[in-house]
Amino acid sequence: MIKKALSSAIIAGLASQSVLADQTSPVLGMHHKTPDLMAFTNATIYTSPNVKLTNATLVIENGHIKSVSKNGKLPKGASVVDAKGLTIYPGFIDVYSEYGIDFSYPSSKTRGPVYRIDRIGGNAANGAIHAQMNWSDHFAPDQKAAQKYLKNGFTAVQTAKHDGILQGRGVTVSLADGIANELVYNANAQHFASFNKGSSAQNYPSSLMGSIALLRQTFSDANWYQKSQGKSVTFAGDNIEYNAALQAISNIEKQGVFFSSQSEQSLLRAAKLLKNFDIKATFLGSGFEYARLDEIGQLNANLVMPLTFAEKPTLGTTQGHDISLADLRHWERNPGNLATLEDSKLTLAITSHGTKGNDFLTNLRTAVKHGLSEKAALAALTTNPAQIAGIANEAGQLKAGYNADFVITKGDIFKNGDIVSVWTQGQEHQFVNPTHLAMSGDYSLNSHHSDEALSVSIDLAGKKAKVTIKQGDKTLKTSNVEKTSDSVSFVVTENDQAIRYRLWQGDQQNALEGRQIDSQQQSMLVTANKVAKDAKATETSADDSIEYVGKLTWPNRAFGQATLPKSQKLHLKNATVWTSEDAGILDNTDVIVANGKFVKIGKNLRTPSGYQAIDATGKHITAGIVDEHSHIAISRGVNEGTEAITAEVRIGDVVNPDDIQIYRSLAGGTTTAQLLHGSANPIGGQAQIIQLKWGESAQNMKMKNVPGSIKFALGENVKQSNWGSDYRTRYPQTRMGVEAVMKDAFVRTKEYKAAQKAYAELSRSEKRKTAPIRKDYRLETLDEILKSQRHVHIHSYVQSEILMFLRLAEQFDFTVTTFTHILEGYKLADEMAKHGAGGSTFADWWGYKFEVYDAIPQNACLMNQRGVLTSINSDSPDLQRRLNQEAAKSITYCDMSQEDAWKMVTINPAKQLKIDNRTGSIKTGKQADFVIWDHNPLSVYARAEQTWIDGRQYFDLATDMTARKAQRVEKSQLINKLIGDKSPKVSSTALSASEKMIQPVWHCDDQHDTWQQHIDHGVH
Amino acid sequence: MTARISTLQQWMLGITCALSMSSAMSHDMVPGKKQSAPILIKGATLHTVSNGVLNNSDILLKDGKIAAIGKQLSQPSNTQVIDGQGKHVYPGLISTVSQLGLREIESVRATVDITEVGEDNPHLLAHVAYNPDSEIIPTIRANGITHVQVTPSGYMLGGQSSVINLDAWNIDDGLIKSAVGVHLFWPSKPGYWVSKKRMPKALKAYQKRLDRLQDYFAQSKRYATAYNADKTIEQDIRWHAMLGLWSKEKTLFVHADAINEIEQALRFNRTHDMNMVIVGGRDAWIAKEQIAAQNVPVIYTHAFGIPARGDEDIDQAFKTPSQLKDAGVTVVIGYESAWDSRSLAFAAGMAAKYGLGKKAALEAITLTPAKLLGVDKQLGSLDVGKSASLIITNGDVMDYQTHRVQQMFIDGRRVDLNNRHRQLYEKYQQKVAIK
Repeated sequence: MIKKALSSAIIAGLASQSVLADQTSPVLGMHHKTPDLMAFTNATIYTSPNVKLTNATLVIENGHIKSVSKNGKLPKGASVVDAKGLTIYPGFIDVYSEYGIDFSYPSSKTRGPVYRIDRIGGNAANGAIHAQMNWSDHFAPDQKAAQKYLKNGFTAVQTAKHDGILQGRGVTVSLADGIANELVYNANAQHFASFNKGSSAQNYPSSLMGSIALLRQTFSDANWYQKSQGKSVTFAGDNIEYNAALQAISNIEKQGVFFSSQSEQSLLRAAKLLKNFDIKATFLGSGFEYARLDEIGQLNANLVMPLTFAEKPTLGTTQGHDISLADLRHWERNPGNLATLEDSKLTLAITSHGTKGNDFLTNLRTAVKHGLSEKAALAALTTNPAQIAGIANEAGQLKAGYNADFVITKGDIFKNGDIVSVWTQGQEHQFVNPTHLAMSGDYSLNSHHSDEALSVSIDLAGKKAKVTIKQGDKTLKTSNVEKTSDSVSFVVTENDQAIRYRLWQGDQQNALEGRQIDSQQQSMLVTANKVAKDAKATETSADDSIEYVGKLTWPNRAFGQATLPKSQKLHLKNATVWTSEDAGILDNTDVIVANGKFVKIGKNLRTPSGYQAIDATGKHITAGIVDEHSHIAISRGVNEGTEAITAEVRIGDVVNPDDIQIYRSLAGGTTTAQLLHGSANPIGGQAQIIQLKWGESAQNMKMKNVPGSIKFALGENVKQSNWGSDYRTRYPQTRMGVEAVMKDAFVRTKEYKAAQKAYAELSRSEKRKTAPIRKDYRLETLDEILKSQRHVHIHSYVQSEILMFLRLAEQFDFTVTTFTHILEGYKLADEMAKHGAGGSTFADWWGYKFEVYDAIPQNACLMNQRGVLTSINSDSPDLQRRLNQEAAKSITYCDMSQEDAWKMVTINPAKQLKIDNRTGSIKTGKQADFVIWDHNPLSVYARAEQTWIDGRQYFDLATDMTARKAQRVEKSQLINKLIGDKSPKVSSTALSASEKMIQPVWHCDDQHDTWQQHIDHGVH
Repeated sequence: MTARISTLQQWMLGITCALSMSSAMSHDMVPGKKQSAPILIKGATLHTVSNGVLNNSDILLKDGKIAAIGKQLSQPSNTQVIDGQGKHVYPGLISTVSQLGLREIESVRATVDITEVGEDNPHLLAHVAYNPDSEIIPTIRANGITHVQVTPSGYMLGGQSSVINLDAWNIDDGLIKSAVGVHLFWPSKPGYWVSKKRMPKALKAYQKRLDRLQDYFAQSKRYATAYNADKTIEQDIRWHAMLGLWSKEKTLFVHADAINEIEQALRFNRTHDMNMVIVGGRDAWIAKEQIAAQNVPVIYTHAFGIPARGDEDIDQAFKTPSQLKDAGVTVVIGYESAWDSRSLAFAAGMAAKYGLGKKAALEAITLTPAKLLGVDKQLGSLDVGKSASLIITNGDVMDYQTHRVQQMFIDGRRVDLNNRHRQLYEKYQQKVAIK
């Protein structure tokens, strides 16, 4: 038995041959049968994240682990490698990779919008659904690409082409060198998905909510498809179509989906969607999870974190004015994200996705420095990803029978250790020559030409050898430093004489042997003894604890809430109370609030004990403002305006609680807003009513148990009048066509529901033959309208189209809830009133396009006079923070009474949203949504001082003033920290907080493809 | 219910009044006739701007000018007397940057004459394209605006603006002062709307634009030098139009919002020493001391703006005028668009609330713009000898409830305050079922 230090010589022999004999290829030439039984002795071995063995032995053979033991016997005939001083970890597994997949979808050359894609081989109707792709079919190993993973300790990856919404099924493979057949660990790994339609040229979906709706319909279709198998016909009598994409995901619940998200909100959206279909979920994280830990930490899912951190913010040329607090805070806390997730319910894994060069190990260590335990880090690199990639029974641990996939390091990989070699299926990939590592260090060298010993410092780990030599305090001139695989040579000038040296590892540990040759060609042997390193120099600074100077708020940006407001008991005294009820405007009146409701309204009330009294003398108290038409707090696209009807999309899926407009509008007295889909198509998406509960989650902002509503639209936008010459083909292009599209949709809905009913009544035997009716989310939504369970808010301008829709609704027997914008409502006020439709209009907008040329600022007055339920809406974040002034314009232009004007922004819109039993007026028993103003609220001089929702204070002007100062201090502390941070700026694929937050200010007619247009760095 | 009826009645009175002033219901209003007899407004509250608020005072308009201001003024013979009891009189409001008359319907290209091709168009005259029959104009007058500076838009050197009155048959009638100044639209640095990938290219293009801008002024200066030495040199229509900038007879209006644009413009003017005015001024508050030190007025157009940055104070846009004034900057409140510039008075009200105060806010839409445009000899305040261009309102013109402009005079001519909106309102109030 030859005892040998781990050296490249022995390994080189092993690596040159394929370890796993390929089982099906004929052998050409000689059969290679070199034995490969190996034992690594005296090592520190982590068999799993929880078990660390010291002085242990790892035995491998045929690409597998034979045994791992402490003081175990060495098998006969094994080549033994002394791994003293080295640590062995299980090989790392990266579950988010595109390794070995060289593929791209053909690109479309069509100019203008693409509404339909080519149907080939049973593909899905949508170009972003690639569920039928099996990426194992496309896998070919690529040793060059593998190096990037191997050098970071990875031995296996789960790989797929990351393109589209359903991306197909991944494959888990070894990074070893070989042929694909012997490298596939799991040919049927997870399905991959994202919200980004990627290279798909199809218009639909152009928005985040469209992507969500498409996934919802596709998952539902997969269930239907599964149920249809074995049946002979559809209900209509057609053959059941072949659909490879649906077939591929018919069992997706159990197979699981790997979902890539780019923000914490988008992760939560995906989680909600997948949970609805009971699909096992793995998420690619974004680094922002800590900001919504309370929600994300509760998910029963896997979370895979890239080790990319947001770039260091740039101070810029404006002395910090353009650097946001959110960016600074995120820069500071981003590295601590993994640590905060360690105690959550999530199963964590780490991916090298997005990292370059040495980022991966550097950032891994930074994460550990920020509190991630080494145990959790190791689990996130080994056992957890093994589980996720479906290879937990063969990889992720060092255990008999498992693949011989492991990492050998000198030192702790989570601190500053070096990766010596990485082993895949028993193949070595060497990164540092172990002899070089062993030889590196500080030595005391006894030269024959110096009286005192020389201090020699040798570093052979890098590409070039480095040698520094000192005589006492004097550094000697050193040149010609060269290394071989097991020696180093150099020339030193000692006492004016050039001495040539060559040193090599001696027999004794901690000593080098060598030879020196002087200028007289005199050759003599020398020894160099290792000296212990200065303790101070080796230990990094003792105090490693990370302190944050930035705050963490909800949302985590300027003006975020440090704590969420609590329900309070209040006695508001002696105010002018604008009830928005028949009671009108009451002087010197008190209001008592408890349990989130108005409890009592009256004069000179006594303060009940335990209630906080607020002197509101000289103040005006009104109900919180309600906005019928808003597009704030919406992520990634307000229009799914690609197809003429998109009733299946839901604004509720994409509520963005981080939007600063929420806070600003709250500060303008707005408490409730209906977030509407845009007006790019005749039948748009479902709306969402939110309350501006700044700081709460997206889910908590949604007003619960309220009737659904939906956006319809008419006129120039839906017929694409102002979209340019590429948009001349979508049906409809005229107001005639708009009516027809709507009529057709309602007729189809009725037929669809009739078919469902008829199917339910089929006999059992008929049902066995007949496929069930495919659930169509689009038509289901329209059916809710026909049943008057979902209310229509229709964007409309001119009288012809208003009248058309009134008559169409009457024909289908539902009432139009609200005509929104309705700038010619004054021309049809009687007809609207008779039908029972409300009107929600702009105070004074006109002239921006032809269909608003007859708009007048007296519109609200005239509608109101003729008995139309009238409100004023904002349709913009700017107007939403001064809707009180917009209401006042009806006094300016047409002498509306103060009471009526005020109702137009409170109780009237509340009625239009069918929430007037909850909010919109100050009335006993109603939700305590109110505003305290310093002035008559219909004056330009009025300012909201406090805004309350549900008896909780969400805005307070005094607090705001304090927060401004505190934020300036916090910001300058963070900037100081930034200036003091000497680490170089590294480019990163991770989003900064402000990149994540980029949202255009959405307007009704925005035609923005969130996946294709210029903000290609944004969030999905 | 009683309250509603009484306001309705009041309203009907107002309509009758308006109709009686209009010669006929027509597509447009007929410009007022030249003042033929003296007009005395008696016992009103006069917001003189130059001389404070005079309660219960009279103002006499004669031959198109303000002839006298005081208490119990004597009436010349055949004077028309207007009872000013409970009424407020203001000088006509001035909209300092406006696209009125140049743009009828934003999305209908045929109705828009605002931006010419190219970036070196200092010679263009906005008033040439001004349409005095724009349906928008009467709606702007109805809210108290008597004069506007018609302003083109563009890329860099966009053209020149002129002051006009809003009650005229054509531009010859309406023009008060031609070619007040050249409008320079300062290039904007590419921002978040450009992706990381495209940013380097965009930054390069931006730098080139800045270089071209410097070059245009260098060429213009060479032209001015040569021209001043020899008036017979070959004319370059572009640089010829800029001679007035170098001689300081014309104003350089620099449209700049972002702080880097404003700072660049300030440095630029250190070199060129022109009569510079900043238009827009969104971030002017950041450089307010610098702006004050260089004595550059600001026409602030974001009185109702939203904060430019997530971290900014929620009321930053509202309080900027007061911050500028406190720093010693001359502030005008502007409203840079056509149809919605009728809210100019409310914009001033907003600034008043957020620290500017009512007096300074009113000044910022009357006398200060008049001075800035060089028309303060005629306009901007109620002073004897100035043009009889004024409005009579129900109360505080800057607040919604009291804003109602009851009468307007331009050069002593009574202006018809009727407009398309009132006409349509009137028409549809008469709607009854006919089938």
